[in-house]
Amino acid sequence: MWHADNMSEPASYERRVFKNTSVYHYMKIYLILDSEDKMLNAAHFKQMIIAALRDLYGEIGAAFPFDVLKFEEDTLTAVLRVYNSGLVKLWSALTLLGSYHSEPCAVRVAQVSPFLLALSGNSRELELD
Amino acid sequence: MVRYKSRYLLCELCVSDQSSLQLLDERAVFTAVKGAVSWAHGDYGAALCSVSFAVKYLNAHTGVVFLRCRKSHYRLLWSALPFITSVESRGQRVPCFFNCLHVGGTIRTCQKFLIRYNTQQLLRMLRHCHSEAERLEVRKAVLSCSVKSLGKEEEEEDEDGCGDEEEWGES
Repeated sequence: MWHADNMSEPASYERRVFKNTSVYHYMKIYLILDSEDKMLNAAHFKQMIIAALRDLYGEIGAAFPFDVLKFEEDTLTAVLRVYNSGLVKLWSALTLLGSYHSEPCAVRVAQVSPFLLALSGNSRELELD
Repeated sequence: MVRYKSRYLLCELCVSDQSSLQLLDERAVFTAVKGAVSWAHGDYGAALCSVSFAVKYLNAHTGVVFLRCRKSHYRLLWSALPFITSVESRGQRVPCFFNCLHVGGTIRTCQKFLIRYNTQQLLRMLRHCHSEAERLEVRKAVLSCSVKSLGKEEEEEDEDGCGDEEEWGES
């Protein structure tokens, strides 16, 4: 339920309060590959995550939905959406993901938030003058 | 005093050919169940279930199996059991499936359940008897394992094949 209250009439912003807990969590992750020449598209990337999940949690444990909302092939950055119940499993599988086609790789989780909007900026990368 | 709490799963091994039950041993069942848990729940589930997992008892005549698992994670083991389709034993593949009859907290409650279950099975067989001689035989068997006849408790336990005096739980 969205609730907006205008602080004052001429104000240029409005405050939004999100009262219910979100159904989803959004994750922004980076993939670090050892070799530069490997080309990866979104389908390969999702397949890789599913394989990692299946390794760790098996056929039953890995059977939960998650989405790759965006995948940038040049920077190997992705935004994932997952139900709250699957967040811990997905995160742990990503952490233990160690190789892709027998080449070492790693996944760095940059941001996790129940709001997609929060992933638009990262306060840790702010450059303050 | 604190003790580790376990769950005992009383399962029935169903095979199409009764004679192939003789091939099975505890080790074969152990590896089959472990493989199924690993397939269904991955490294995570296999690691959780392997803590204090044991095949406590296997009856090669009736196909009754007792599995022990920690109470906190017995659901992982339980949910993996239907995925077992065969047990590999002495180089031979025995097609079978596990029918979980009872889940108990102690091996004793499982034993009591098994006795009651077998009595019910005998009563069910009584209905399918054709000749009088068969009927008498089954009736005698029912009476011999009836819980009410206290004097016959010892032999009845041997008959049901779970008369081993196990400790209640691993402590």
